[in-house]
Order: sequence, then structure tokens, then C-alpha cells
Amino acid sequence: MKAIITILAVAALASVPLWLRDPYLLNALITTGIFVIGAMSLNLLLGFTGQLSLGHIAFFGIGAYVSALTSLGFDIGLPGDIRLVHAPWPPIAGFVLAILVAGLCGYFVGLLSFRVRGAYFVIVTISFAEVVRLVALNWVELTQGPLALTNIPSIALPLPGFGELMLRTKMQNYYLVLVVALTAYLLIARLVHSHFGRAMRGLMENETLAVSVGIDVTRTLTIAAVISAAIAGAAGSLYAHYIRIIDPEVFAFINTVTMVIMVISGGKGSLAGPVVGGLIFGLLPVALRPVMAPEAQWIAYGGVLMAILFVLPRGIVPSLALRFARRRSGKTALAPVALPETGVKEPA
Amino acid sequence: MTRTLGLVPAIVLATALFGGAAGAQTIKIGVNEPLTGAFAASGTYVVNGARIAADEINAKGGILGKKIELVIEDNKSNPTEAAAVAEKLITSDKVPVLMGAWGSSLTLAVMPKLMEYETPMVVETSSSGKITTTGNPFIFRISPPSAVEAAAFKGIVDKLALKKVDFLVINNDWGRGTAEDFSKMMKDKGITIGLVETMDQGAQDMSAQLSKIKSSDSETVIVTTAVDQLTLIFKQAAALGLKKRIITTGGSQNPDQIIAQAGAAANGTMHLTTFLPWFPDKTPNPEATNYFITEWKKRGFEFAGCTESFRGYDGIRTAAAAIEKAGKAEPAAIKAALWNINIKGLNGDIVFRKSGPEGKESGQSQPNVYLIEINDGKVEMKTI
Amino acid sequence: MSEFLQHLINMLVLGGTYALLGIGLTLIFGIMNVVNFTHGVLYTFGAYIMFIVVQQLGLNFFLALPVAVLAGWLLGAAIELTLLRPLRGSDIDTTMLVMIGAWIAMQSGTLWIWGGVAKSVTTPFPEAPLVLGPVSVSWLRLFVLAAAAMLILVTYLLINKTSLGRAMRATFQDHDTASLMGVNVDMIYTSTFAIGSSLAAAAGALLGPVYVIFPQMGDLAAVKAFAIVILGGLGNITGAVIGGFILALAEELGAGYVSSGYRDAMGFLIIIAVLIFKPTGLFARAERVG
Repeated sequence: MKAIITILAVAALASVPLWLRDPYLLNALITTGIFVIGAMSLNLLLGFTGQLSLGHIAFFGIGAYVSALTSLGFDIGLPGDIRLVHAPWPPIAGFVLAILVAGLCGYFVGLLSFRVRGAYFVIVTISFAEVVRLVALNWVELTQGPLALTNIPSIALPLPGFGELMLRTKMQNYYLVLVVALTAYLLIARLVHSHFGRAMRGLMENETLAVSVGIDVTRTLTIAAVISAAIAGAAGSLYAHYIRIIDPEVFAFINTVTMVIMVISGGKGSLAGPVVGGLIFGLLPVALRPVMAPEAQWIAYGGVLMAILFVLPRGIVPSLALRFARRRSGKTALAPVALPETGVKEPA
Repeated sequence: MTRTLGLVPAIVLATALFGGAAGAQTIKIGVNEPLTGAFAASGTYVVNGARIAADEINAKGGILGKKIELVIEDNKSNPTEAAAVAEKLITSDKVPVLMGAWGSSLTLAVMPKLMEYETPMVVETSSSGKITTTGNPFIFRISPPSAVEAAAFKGIVDKLALKKVDFLVINNDWGRGTAEDFSKMMKDKGITIGLVETMDQGAQDMSAQLSKIKSSDSETVIVTTAVDQLTLIFKQAAALGLKKRIITTGGSQNPDQIIAQAGAAANGTMHLTTFLPWFPDKTPNPEATNYFITEWKKRGFEFAGCTESFRGYDGIRTAAAAIEKAGKAEPAAIKAALWNINIKGLNGDIVFRKSGPEGKESGQSQPNVYLIEINDGKVEMKTI
Repeated sequence: MSEFLQHLINMLVLGGTYALLGIGLTLIFGIMNVVNFTHGVLYTFGAYIMFIVVQQLGLNFFLALPVAVLAGWLLGAAIELTLLRPLRGSDIDTTMLVMIGAWIAMQSGTLWIWGGVAKSVTTPFPEAPLVLGPVSVSWLRLFVLAAAAMLILVTYLLINKTSLGRAMRATFQDHDTASLMGVNVDMIYTSTFAIGSSLAAAAGALLGPVYVIFPQMGDLAAVKAFAIVILGGLGNITGAVIGGFILALAEELGAGYVSSGYRDAMGFLIIIAVLIFKPTGLFARAERVG
């Protein structure tokens, strides 16, 4: 049942460019898709380890800058009269480096911030994102600061024997984002269902118990943070090569908020949650645009968000799955319910 | 899950239907401006100015026998949205020419879309040098980049007897670009450059930066930012007892708003501006200026908004003139015609000169720059 | 030297307002465990109340302040009753996201009603500053500092010397036990949120005339408030006050002697440093509420 739904959903998403010709809507789907990838990576932390990061955009932005700078080249002076000159590399190398560097940053932030939990963790992550934004804004020699990095090349896929394929059209970029999103989805799914995934969930449900059965808390959380950051970096790289200009505004807090909205409204701790929440909140502005005044669109956006949480406080996917499961089993008792999307057991 | 996924195509279809209603009875001009978010106030002013131009043109019978229709979209002060809005205007609304996008990063984000769909855009406000130097032949800018402003200021510096100058600029492309271009010009003139301080966009307390400037040995401070921060700077400088001459640049000063909000603190400040709504008769096109100001007041807008909104008015008149010259509402023809227009804008003749790499030059018009001084709560024009 | 003295004076004036921003949030955060994203909007709301009362109704400046406090109290109570009470028992992420939704909707509402053009409020204070030797400070800011100090003192007394305060402290320590001991926890939550909100509105009403009033003014204020709360420790009013002054000092000296571009980074760098070396805030050992 679950497999059928997944295959149908993938087939439906893959077929979109075949019947949807409107470039504006395709563009909206591509940018939404990029943010959905970011939301999926955030979900790995928030939904499966219970750590709420409000600085997730930092990894996304770092990925965007690393990828852009790799493909544009730079020439900077370092302390001690050293000049660091980098000639432009192909964008695909930027994509790979974006994943690696974002992952590395995830490692250090993970080490640092898992010393603190709860509200303190939230603030550390916000602080980290703000500091990175201010560095991007003020290190003008490297990042051009507010003058923005422009003319970032589109991603080109090397095809052995045929040279390379520049991904310029909407359809090509749509499939690129879809492929990266599917890869990220499968990677997270594998991880969650592995021994490591059980360790993460054990930690989230009862840290003391998890420690007593031999789970290495810091190691588990750090690995989750590294993978999460690396995926966000990949999304950032896609963003840089698709929009083709980035400035420090990419680190804006509202972008993190967008990802958090996608994860929690869709259902944290559910693999499909960020996808469903992401598609709704990514496309809602598109749907609202023609029907109301600009300020009213934002009011409606906030209103829809509050309404979803009131009706489905666990998020769309887990709440609907729960109702579906109850209807099938024919009882309404509060028995522990296996969530079909993830197989996560509710704590008894 | 299937139910929710089913919703998505429905939303998409509904939007396609909404956006698809196009009539060939009008000639459309796309307007891509920030109406919400950080730049909402300025974007709204520009749109209101644009509306005056459109109504004026339509009252006179339109162009090519058709009325013009502004398709106004909010880019939410966000580069990603600005690019998406450009895409919508060009592909769904089928506009043959755009005006936008206020902030430089917003305009820069739109530029790849212009290349992709080969559609020209009139840039009405953005000041980043990069816009006209990176080789985008679909850009036609009527606002002065900071280098043009610096060049215009060059003739004035001798009269002001500047010796040492500090800068306090907003930390974005506009402020940084101004500090760079003005420093270069002043160094050539033998003026010493002291501190270059920055403030974040949206920052409200500049006392720390001003205290530092207060203790420096320069006699003049060049300040570049939008009107709200300027008001705060004048108030805070007065509170700190900062006695230096303050000159602001950038043309987003709204001196009337400054006088209203900063009061006596604004006295003695000088401003480089691109439009003179206080002295319509001294502008290059007094008739149009008077019409614009009368219409602006008639619609109940604040007079202070004039210095921002005239750009929207000029931008739409530029686009309309190009359509008329082209003889048809097609992007390629309008782009070619933009090179040949010569209209009297509110701040000088709008004639595009080539700028940027050869073969793919952008258009840059050279607007006038004026120096005004606020004295006893009144705007005075300094003859340059 | 005179520059340094001027920075210190600036720090004092700025720190007082930061402290006022921080204490409202720390109460809500500490007692209710709600990451209150509407704090900045309430700050903006207080400033607009000031604008309405003074500029549009033409009433007295000093009358506007209590009006703003009352309006903030009412709006805070309304938010608690309609948005938070029905979600009691949901996890912290869900309530946080509802607060984010309210923040987006309310901020856009302000933009819709008043437009994006900044407003200013005329004050009865002289424009010429008070000059003390090499340093000077505006009379309005001195008034703001005094008013902030008074509001902080009132809040401190409310928490430490009244029965409502005792019930709030009990709820902070253990709300289940407090509830068993006969404390009306629902009432405490509503009061806490209303008091915190009225303090945010008071900060906005005081600072609106110092700066200018526009719909996004609360965003930066809220970020600073979060930083102050973390520096001081959750629910710790004294900590929030000291945290406010530390943040102001770091910003002043950072902008004055390091680089103004990194002015806003100073606060965040301190937070990261504090949390690395003392993960529960600077004043974790102090009595938590009060």
C-alpha cells in the first residue's frame, strides 16, 4: 500500500513537465522543490532527533556560496601576505564541494551545539546563522558582500563522449531538482530505518534510557547533523545555479522559517511530511497571488498555517495517517499507533 | 497522502486559469516592485507614480490606438520572488517590457530572466554599478549609479572646500558602492578619506558609529541610506552633539519627511538629489513636473513621496515612448526602440548611452543631480 | 577617552531598553515554555498605539504610555486565550509555529492598516541634548531609561512580592505540583503572557518616539530580546537586565573599536561563547524567576 502510494506520487511528480507548460508555474515548482530538499534535511534533525534548529538556512547558504565561488573563482588576500587564487571550476564540482563543506560545518556546529539542548540549542543555531550572514555581508573580498555574486553558471552534467549538457531549461532543472530530492529522500529513509535510525529515535524518546543501552549520544547527533547539513548544502548549491545570483539575504531568517513551516505543518518525523507541507506552503503564495492584495496574501499565509496546526496539531501526514489507521482498525482508542510513513512507534 | 497530493494539481490548474485571461485590447507593461517586506514603502510610492503616468497616457488616447495596462506584481523585497515575478509577467501575462525592481539585488535576480526571454526592462531605482556593467543588453536604467552621482558631485567639492571626509553608509550594494565611487573621486581631488562606517539595513541605533565619527578629525560626513535611517541619524547626531557638515547622497532622502520627522536636527544638512519637486520651474521639464505634483497631491499621497515616486512615473513614460517608437508591442522591437528614444523626464533628458562590455551593452541614461540644503525647516537649492 | 565615555553613556541608555525588551520575553519563555514569536509584533503594536494616541488623537504623550501598556495587556491576553490555551499540551514546536503564523499575519496586518511609510511621534522633550563635559545624551532617552527602570522594578516587585508572583514562581518550578496545590495554572499562563506582552508594548511605546515606527521594527527587537533571554537564563529577570546591558556594551564597543559591519554579530558571538562555556546562561545558579 505504502509502496504503491510512493510510486504513484513519484510518477505524478515526474510527469509534471510533460503536461504543465507554464514556465512560471514550473519555476515555482523548482524553487519549492529546492526548499523541500532543505526542509527534508531539517526534518532529519527536528523530526528524528528532536533538535529544533532555527539556523538551518546557514548550511543552505554556505552550500550556495561554496558552489557559486567554486564555479566563479576568487582571488583573496589572507593574513601574512598570502594570496589565495582559485580559477573557476565546473559547477558540478561546486555542487560536490558544497555538500562536503556544508557537511563539515554541520560537524562543527553539531559538536558545539549539542552541548546545549532545548531553547538554548534553538538560540545557538539562530546565532550561528546570523554570524555566517554577517561574515558573508562583510567579507567583501571573497563574497562581494552585498554587491552579490552574479552570473553564476547553470549546472552542466558531464556526459562522457558527448562533452557536457548545460541544464538551462525549466524542464531540465525540474528533473535535476527532482532527482536530487529523490536521492535525499531515499538516503534519509534508509538512514531512519537503519540501526542508526533506531538509535536516533531512542534518543529522542528517552535520552537516559538510550544512554543506558549503550547509544553514543554525541556521535549519533553529530552524524545526523552532518548528513542534515550536507543535504541542505546540496539544496543551496541547486539554488545558486538556478537563480544565478546570491547575496547575503539568502541567510534571511524568513528562509529558515519557511523550512520550519514546511516540516512542522507537513508532520515532523514523517518522511513524506516535509514534501507535503513543502508543496502546500511553497505553492500557496502562487495560488494566493492572483486573488488578493499583497498584504492580505501574507495574512492568509499566516492564517492557513495556524488553521492547519489547530486542526491537525501533529502535522498533516501523521494526523491523516492516524485517522486512516483508526478507521481501518475500526477503533478510536488511544492505542499506540504505528505511523505508516515511518514505522515510528509512539512512546507508550 | 494521495488526497493531499491530489490538491496540488488543482491549485496549479486554478492558478493557470486565473493567470491565463489575456486580452489583446491593451498594451501591457509589467511592474515588478516590492509592495511588502523591507522596501514596501518605497515600492508602493514607485507604483503610485507609475499609475499616474499610465492614467495620463490613457487619458490622451493611449499608444498605438490602445490603452496601456500596468500589470503590477509584488516581489516581496525578496530576490527569489523578484525572479519568479519576472517569469510570471513575461510568460503568463505576456508583457513585452518591464519596469523594476527597486533594490539592486532584486534587479540583479531578475536579469537572467530578461536574457532567457529576451525582454527589456526599464530600471527605475537600483544604483549598483554591476547592473549595467555585466553585459546584459536588456537593461535600460534611468536612475544614476553611484559613479554617475560621484562624477556630478566632482564639480561641487571645490566650492564646499572639503578636506577630510568620513562615510556612514548602509551595508548594501548601494551604500558600499557609494563609499567606493565617492572615495575614488575625492582622492583624485586631494581630499583625505577618514572612517568608512557601515550600518545594517533596518538598524535603528547608529549612536555607536556616530560617536566614533564625532571623535574623528574630519569636517564632513557623507551619509548614504534611505529616508528612515537618515531621520534617525540626524536625530542621533544632534543628541550626540555632532557638529560636522552632513551631506547625503542617493536621491532617496525625501527632505520633507526628514524636516517633518527630524525637525531642527535636519537644519544645515545638504543632500544630493535627482528631483526638485520644491522648485518645479527649475526642473528640466517644468510642465510635466507641475502636472505630476498636482496629480500626486490630488490623489491624496504625501508630498514627501514625490522624490521616490517620480521614478515610477518616468519609468512608465520611458517604456511607453519606446513602445510608440517601436510601432508594435513586441520585446525585440521595444528593445531596439529604447536606444532611439529621447524624452524629457522629470530629472533630465532620458537618452540611453551604451555601458558595459562591447556587443552586449546595457543602456544608461544620465539624469541631473542637484545639491539642496535644509535651512530653518525649508529646502533651499544650492547653485552648482 | 571622550569617545570611550560617550560609548559608555550610549551603552547605559541602550542597555536599559534592551533590558525592558528582555524581561517580558524571559517571563513567557521561562514560565510557559513558549518560544514567543509575537514578542516583536507586540513591540510594534505598542509603538503604533503611541502614534495613534499622540499624533492622531492629539492626546498627551505621558497618557499614551499607560494606554499602550493596557492595550498590550489586552492583546496578549487575547492571543493566549485564542491561540495558546487550545494548544496546551502540544509540544513546543507546534506552539512555536502557531506563534510564527500569528507573527506573519499580524505584521502584515500592520502594513495593511498603516502602510510601510515610517511614522514618527513628537515628544514634549527639548531637542537640544544634555551636555556633560565631553559627552551628551538626549533628554528623551534619559526619560526612556528612567521609565524602563521603573517598569523593570514594578515587574520585579510583582513577581517577588505579590501572591500572583508567588503563584507564577511556583508554576515555573513545577506546574503539575502548583496545580495540585490549588494554583489556577490556566489563569497564571494567561496573566504571564499578558504581562509579558504589556512589557513588550511598553518597550515599543517608549522606543517608537526615539526611533521611527514602521511594520518591521519589531523583528530586530525580537532577535535582540531572544539573545538577552539566553544570556540571562530562562525566566531570570535579573539575568535579563544584566544581559541587556552586556549586549549593549558589546555592540557599542564592537562598533566603536572593531568594525561597525560586525556590530550585530557581537551579541551572537557572545551567545555562542557563553553557551560553549556555560551552557545554561550566565546566571543559571541565580533564582530563576525573579
